[in-house]
Amino acid sequence: MEGRRIGVYVCHCGLNIAGTVDVEEVAKYAATLPSVVVSRDYHYMCSDPGQALIKDDIKECGINRVVVASCSPRMHELTFRNACQDGGLNPYLLEHTNIREHCSWVHEDKAAATEKAKALVRAAVKRVYYHEPLEVKEAPVNPNVLVVGGGIAGMQAALDIANGEHQVYLVEREPSIGGHMIQLDRTFPTLDCSECILTPKMAEVGHHPFIELLAYSEVEEVSGSIGQFKVKVRKKARYIDESKCVGCGVCEEKCPWKVPSEFEMGLAMRKAIYIPFAQAIPNVVTIDKDLCVYIQSGGKKCGACIKFCEANAVTPETLLNQSDQIVELEVGSIIVATGYDQFDPSVVPQYGYKKYDNVLTGLEFERITCAAGPTGGKILLKDGTEPENVAIIHCVGSRDQNYHEYCSRVCCMYGLKYAYLIKELTGADVYEFYIDMRCFGEGFEEFYKRISEEGIKFIRGKVAKVTDVAITEEEKGKLIVVAEDTLLGSMVRVPVDMVILCAALESRSDADKVASLFGLNRRADGFFLARHVKLDPVATPTDGIFIAGCCEAPRDIPDTVAQAEAAAAKALSLISKGKITLEAAVATVDEAQCQGCGRCEEICTFHAPKVISKNGVMVSTINETLCKGCGACAVACPTGAISIRHFTQEEILAQVGALIEV
Amino acid sequence: MAEFEPQIIAFCCNWCTYAAADLAGTSRVHYPPNVKIVRVMCSGMVNPIYVLKAFESGADGVLVAGCNLVDCYYLDGPVKCDAMFAILKKLVHILGLEDERLRREMISASEGVVFARVVEEMVEGLKKLGPAPFKVKKGAVV
Amino acid sequence: MMALIPSKEVVDVVLEAGGEPLKLCYQCGLCTATCPWNLVRSFSIRGMVHQSQLGLVDFESEDIWLCATCNTCVKRCPRGVEIIDIMRALRKVIVEMGVAKVPDALRLSAKNVSVTGNPLAELQEKRADWAKDLDVKPFIEGTELLYFPCCYPAYEPKEKGIARATVGILNEARVDFGILGVKESCCGDLVRKSGNETIFRRLAESNIKAFTENGVKRILVSSPHCYNTFKNEYPDFGGNFEVIHSTQYLLELVKEHRIEFAKELNKRVVYSDPCYLGRHNDIYDEPREVLQSIPGLELVELPDFREEALCCGGGGGRIWMETKKGERFCDLRLEQAIELGAEVLAVACPICMCMFKDSQLTVDKGESIEVKDVTELVHEAI
Repeated sequence: MEGRRIGVYVCHCGLNIAGTVDVEEVAKYAATLPSVVVSRDYHYMCSDPGQALIKDDIKECGINRVVVASCSPRMHELTFRNACQDGGLNPYLLEHTNIREHCSWVHEDKAAATEKAKALVRAAVKRVYYHEPLEVKEAPVNPNVLVVGGGIAGMQAALDIANGEHQVYLVEREPSIGGHMIQLDRTFPTLDCSECILTPKMAEVGHHPFIELLAYSEVEEVSGSIGQFKVKVRKKARYIDESKCVGCGVCEEKCPWKVPSEFEMGLAMRKAIYIPFAQAIPNVVTIDKDLCVYIQSGGKKCGACIKFCEANAVTPETLLNQSDQIVELEVGSIIVATGYDQFDPSVVPQYGYKKYDNVLTGLEFERITCAAGPTGGKILLKDGTEPENVAIIHCVGSRDQNYHEYCSRVCCMYGLKYAYLIKELTGADVYEFYIDMRCFGEGFEEFYKRISEEGIKFIRGKVAKVTDVAITEEEKGKLIVVAEDTLLGSMVRVPVDMVILCAALESRSDADKVASLFGLNRRADGFFLARHVKLDPVATPTDGIFIAGCCEAPRDIPDTVAQAEAAAAKALSLISKGKITLEAAVATVDEAQCQGCGRCEEICTFHAPKVISKNGVMVSTINETLCKGCGACAVACPTGAISIRHFTQEEILAQVGALIEV
Repeated sequence: MAEFEPQIIAFCCNWCTYAAADLAGTSRVHYPPNVKIVRVMCSGMVNPIYVLKAFESGADGVLVAGCNLVDCYYLDGPVKCDAMFAILKKLVHILGLEDERLRREMISASEGVVFARVVEEMVEGLKKLGPAPFKVKKGAVV
Repeated sequence: MMALIPSKEVVDVVLEAGGEPLKLCYQCGLCTATCPWNLVRSFSIRGMVHQSQLGLVDFESEDIWLCATCNTCVKRCPRGVEIIDIMRALRKVIVEMGVAKVPDALRLSAKNVSVTGNPLAELQEKRADWAKDLDVKPFIEGTELLYFPCCYPAYEPKEKGIARATVGILNEARVDFGILGVKESCCGDLVRKSGNETIFRRLAESNIKAFTENGVKRILVSSPHCYNTFKNEYPDFGGNFEVIHSTQYLLELVKEHRIEFAKELNKRVVYSDPCYLGRHNDIYDEPREVLQSIPGLELVELPDFREEALCCGGGGGRIWMETKKGERFCDLRLEQAIELGAEVLAVACPICMCMFKDSQLTVDKGESIEVKDVTELVHEAI
């Protein structure tokens, strides 16, 4: 510790400091402290001549540590660090202490304020003594981006980045991209057809020279950190030759084996060899291995698809010998857009879902009204007749602490959309059972008004049950919806033919796995947590990994698209800079003291420490690209092996020990 | 004899409470000069040793203050701080210091007034309590 | 038009009496729509909560006394509002602050409980009389199990069978048990739910004292009301005992082969879930498993069962009050049971038994079905 030459600079800040603190006395006092070789006071230290004092002293007086006592370091620490750097001194050899906001502006007694300023300067001098030069490191950013999830959020983000001519890998676990949006019929409040606006985007994704689409694939492993992630993707076997399949659909027609179609919400059947829907991208068939009799019998039975495939895309070879492939990718950032699940209303037995044929969920109704859907767009009951009256029940599984406490945001609006479609297509009476109508977005209130004009009956009350037990003649053969009309203050029983449950959007059932795969945090409601709800809504605790769409919270299409574009902008800004500056004041491990216990690994929110074997000894290492320098690991470390650069124990203890004069 | 002026050392996180103290300054909210702030990056960075060192070097009271959980720059620093603080409370108790000498607060960046009020309260409380029992007096023979 | 000047005083009084949960209510009306009263008359529990939120409660309204504390609304409430606590608070304000008239029947029963330790105004000295001719030991320190029969089986002739059957089974299984007899009092559930907090506290303290002084650790109860009170409410007053309901204990004895069935009971039996066993304590399976273990017995289910079961209408002090014909839930329930062609309506609660036995007298073909406790059915078959 020989050779410390400290320069102290006390700022007047005009009269802001000097009006209350006797700055000259502080500077004089500082000059008496050990290792201080220069001590000055100046009117405005942040001014160019003020900064020049520091630079000159570095050169002329050979000072190698600097203390500036002025305003808040949150205001000018960077200014003085730069001054040090310009003077040829490592910027981390500065200690900036606050005698304005924390002293002259909050105290009136001049003597006391001066004493406090002296103490703060004294402590800063003690602390700066231990400052060490730190190196500001940079790391390159791989310009490739991985987007996980091929719904509207993932597609939008992928297109934005690819349009900037950067390589995007888009991973989708289903056979086709499109997500939930492609299942929807019309979109509120404009009522434009979902397919019409989405399929061009899907085609664009499919053909984009900068997008490599990995459909029917899942991310298996992610390692590395911002700028340099390594990702393993499992490309599931479709049991066909994708390069040969033209999507003609003949095999599908000839295949004799059927199961309920996932895309049609079980309302229609699909084959063992199938394209989930007409506009699927990629337009190739997939074979459901468990259902395919040829595969299950080891090639002994069936084989209709082989016989009828003119393109020779389905062969005994593809059916029996194809296996999953692992694709390894290297990317600089990742956008997670894995979407949502629809709440399963069968857990609310009182609503009779799956018990009564004509109780449907929102997504089922979307398929029913869709012209390409199982009923050809006709709103029909299970017996093939049109309903005369329909009840739409809001808040199923949302705004209810027995299920999900949050408001699911989109249900009021899609409930109104259904009312419109039912009126339009069947003229049936429609009852909306709601608790509060939440129509907050652009054009939403206008839409509410427009639907009201259709003569929809709004009943304010949470439905208690849907039953087929009639107590009057009119109720016979109907589903009876029971609720309190809270505005009338009386019970109502509404007999209807069809009940639509506005089921909540909930986090994916495998969100926990996805979270641990990408180092994301989840909220209590299961959705992924943004770095900052208001000011950093698409970033996550893991730098370089962003979230977009309904995996973060229930939201409608415009908000999802906006968020996807925000995530794309984040990724693009990383690519555009091409490198990342790493925080210098991060954790460091003294390997001689480390016992490899792993407490640091457990406590770190950012997955920065990792215990590894070094020459057969378990020691912790810090990934400096992940470390944010919060210091939790240093507190947790039982042997004191971890310290935080620029906030070492030595530095803080020296500062604390000098604050009070005894 | 002059009135006893307690000495307080406050460990404040850079993002919230340090900023709250800055705000108290810019809004000219006055409070007693008995407090001196040590800037740390996160309240979860405060090692119990720092607090013990503060008492050892003559503090009559110590404040550990940082973000609310929802504001934390490091997401969950306050949780880690709370865990540390629970241990610290026991340690301080063993040392024979009164509970009131050690205070934990969550003060967000917008709460300059709260910061000033907390300091005032602590100064008042400590004045009643008197000097920390093992405080080494100036000039005393150790 | 009503001038809406919320009465802060009234709100405060209700809050102080334990009505704190009302603040959470967002007025969706699910409580009203699930409330069994709306099967027989109109009753907006939501409306009453809203009145309480604003301090506009009509304390004179008879609606305040309707709630049978069946817990259906509480179980389904999307905001987790403890509606029973609100009703209890409103009643407490009336009973303890005298802001309105307490229905005569309730006042009388509460007084009986207060004076004699039971709602039937029977003498405390006679509390153990039901066991006179049976082989029952008084509980002494070290006895394994205390049997606490509830006031109704202890005094009411129609219900003594429950206590006697229990004793028969316990003796058959050679269980080391005893009774406290004259040392015990009513558990206090019904008085508490009807607003008499002071009397309840006295009963709770006296029972806790009796249990503690006699070294009671484990209590077997016939009534789900006693079960709920001992298990979930006495701990607040320092009484922590292991409580077990007869149906749970019976299942234990059957599974461990400590009782064996000797006879077949070739009967069609329907089980009615008691609110305080089911919705209040989530015990649905044990009584059913016990019934199904009886040889020959055919168990059928009522239209609404388990979580959805219709209340008998006797809880919350309603058992003491006159309910108009046509508004009795127990009548509806009994009619449903008869319609199912059941020969026995099995209950697991002395309150339910009392209500259903009354219904038998007035409901058409009421005598065509027997009302029996699960314990009695088991006893018949061993």
